[in-house]
Amino acid sequence: MKRILQVTLLTLVTLFLVSTAQAQIRIGLISDLSGATSDVGRPYAEGVKDCVKYINDQGGVNGQKIELLQVDYAYNVQQALAAYNRFKSQGIVALQGWGTADTEALVRQVARDRIPTFSASYSAHLTDPNIAPYNFFIAADYSTQFRAALSYLYNSWEKDRAPRLGLVYPNVPYGLAPVPAGREYARELGFEIVGEENVGLGDMDSTSQLIRLNRQQPDFVWVGGTISSTAVILKDAQRLNMGATFITNIWGSDEQLLSLAGSAVNGHLGLQSAVVYGEDVPGMEVIRDLTGGRHQMTHYIRGFASMYVMAEAIRIASEKGELNGPGIRDAARTLRDFDPMGLTPPISFFPDDHRPNMSVNIYRLSQDGMEFLATETLERRMDWLGK
Amino acid sequence: MQGKCGLFFTTYAKESQVFHTGFQKTSVALFFLILLVVPFFLNSYQVSLLNLINIAVIGAVSLNLLTGSCGQISLGHGAFIGVGAYATGVCTLNGWPFLPALLFGGSVTALVGMIFGIPSLRLKGIYLAIATLAAQLILVYIFLHWSSVTGGAIGMGLDSPVIFGFSFDTDLKMFYLTLFFAVLAVLMVKNILRTKSGRAFVAIRDFHLSAESVGINLFRYKLQAFGVSSFLAGIAGGLWAHYTMYITPEQFEIGLSIHYLAMIIIGGLGSVLGSVFGAVFLTLLPEGLGIVADHLSGFFPNISTYFLAMRDGIFGLILVLFLIFEPDGLARRWQLAKSYFKLHPFAH
Repeated sequence: MKRILQVTLLTLVTLFLVSTAQAQIRIGLISDLSGATSDVGRPYAEGVKDCVKYINDQGGVNGQKIELLQVDYAYNVQQALAAYNRFKSQGIVALQGWGTADTEALVRQVARDRIPTFSASYSAHLTDPNIAPYNFFIAADYSTQFRAALSYLYNSWEKDRAPRLGLVYPNVPYGLAPVPAGREYARELGFEIVGEENVGLGDMDSTSQLIRLNRQQPDFVWVGGTISSTAVILKDAQRLNMGATFITNIWGSDEQLLSLAGSAVNGHLGLQSAVVYGEDVPGMEVIRDLTGGRHQMTHYIRGFASMYVMAEAIRIASEKGELNGPGIRDAARTLRDFDPMGLTPPISFFPDDHRPNMSVNIYRLSQDGMEFLATETLERRMDWLGK
Repeated sequence: MQGKCGLFFTTYAKESQVFHTGFQKTSVALFFLILLVVPFFLNSYQVSLLNLINIAVIGAVSLNLLTGSCGQISLGHGAFIGVGAYATGVCTLNGWPFLPALLFGGSVTALVGMIFGIPSLRLKGIYLAIATLAAQLILVYIFLHWSSVTGGAIGMGLDSPVIFGFSFDTDLKMFYLTLFFAVLAVLMVKNILRTKSGRAFVAIRDFHLSAESVGINLFRYKLQAFGVSSFLAGIAGGLWAHYTMYITPEQFEIGLSIHYLAMIIIGGLGSVLGSVFGAVFLTLLPEGLGIVADHLSGFFPNISTYFLAMRDGIFGLILVLFLIFEPDGLARRWQLAKSYFKLHPFAH
């Protein structure tokens, strides 16, 4: 009798565990919490995790809770590969990725295994479904951001001569990715490109590069680095009394830059693809509640939005009864001007075009914070897709 | 006939055998039998780790031949692996079958390695390290800027290897391919070390002047070491490229070169078996630390954050501890463990 009771209990417990396991939607999260990009990787991962918490607190996606499996891959491709395989064996239906090297190393694998991947690497070629059929992200790609910045600068240019543009970027894939597109569009608009210089991501000095560039008297300088190199560049520019307005790309300006560069940031511009903390959008209330009113970096907000958009695709797939990789991918492609609570410009994906939008927010940087100037939206030109 | 106690060699040929006793042969055969069967009982994550280990074994054994056996320090091994990856990738993208492409990739890497090995006649130790570091930087620069061939910053997408119509498109299938090449690489290096060239490499490592005075052509053998080592690095790169199916310059940065150096230091410089141990150890270390962090986070929710942040520190600490307490690496530990069981309960 006792044995029968034991077996019954064991079966019931197993059934319960299996049923609860089935009720979960498993998502993998590859984060950099301890590697080269951990300063921005940590807040981004927190944003993703908090969004899952928010969705689960709201009752999940169509009643199913999201279970997030997180691995810190320390910005190492091999570890990202191992993490991905681990997730795959644990039965994930979608993946939240992180950087350029790992996202690109996984492009073919996620396509083969049909696992939709939302990453924070915004390389333009990832938006071309012919190259990366299962890759998505929620920010305009690096090339579109660069073009939008140029468009904004050109439209606000008032002098009756061509604006002079200088480029400063690191000689690494992330820095080089948008440069050809930017160069081409600058010429198309009527900019005069007066010089290009390389400043490495870890460089502590950029004086010689800026002196050379300053001789050409640029009106604007595009900075394609990350926070520490941008801080170095802005400080050196202040020391050299450069008259140019610097405009930094998405990983080059955040709250850390304001404290690192101090007064050197005043008057310069920064690009963002999500709002910054404290702006008056519906999603900010949710984030305030989740974080107890603690100030969050802009990367956190993008992480949150990335997961929020993915959850919407999962919801649509689930309603259609296709809660699997291809189902979520197809659902994401049906999104049209989806608004993630105002946290980013509206998101649309198409079967032949994975560019989320053509919009970039432009902020004026100052020691006291980032002041929203405008959202610059470009036309969705097909000849720009993937380039 | 009465059995003998200990090993007695009556010819040099017998002494230089890879396996001396029947017990050794049986153990290795049994090990391989288990290795061939075990992936069927593992999940794809565990098999993928085995794949990474197999590729790392090829890279480590090739670097160990150059650095451990011939004494030529190389800080450019990561880039040599990259040359193999790109060369193989370009060939397969142009319609070459996988095997010829892989061999071509290895050959191109051998050539590149030998070109960068030319300064080794004049340079030694830290100077050679800096020369190979220059190779690392130059090659990565070429990967990044020769866009028409390498895809530049965007990188290069590849397909799974196909050999005679059979596609190695799962981790399990890939395991047998990578294992085949890993075994081949290990056997190749083991056999090279038993030849005249191998003995010349060791002589050059131990003291180049003595080696030269007994008639060893330093330049020829140093170049040979660079050539063979780079060939195998190219094979490792070709396999890596077609395993990950997407290569970008970031994958072959200086960090990879240091990773391979750490493998042969932890495994044991100059030891083929040590290269294997080092590759296994360093591939599994981050996974092991991750698992420990996962378990700890069950008891202390926030500890995993601190633990993960310490991971690089732990890696460095392990390296330093090896250098202090076991400079001969895991291969020496393995020898000591074997001796212990052989001699027990006697001390000698």
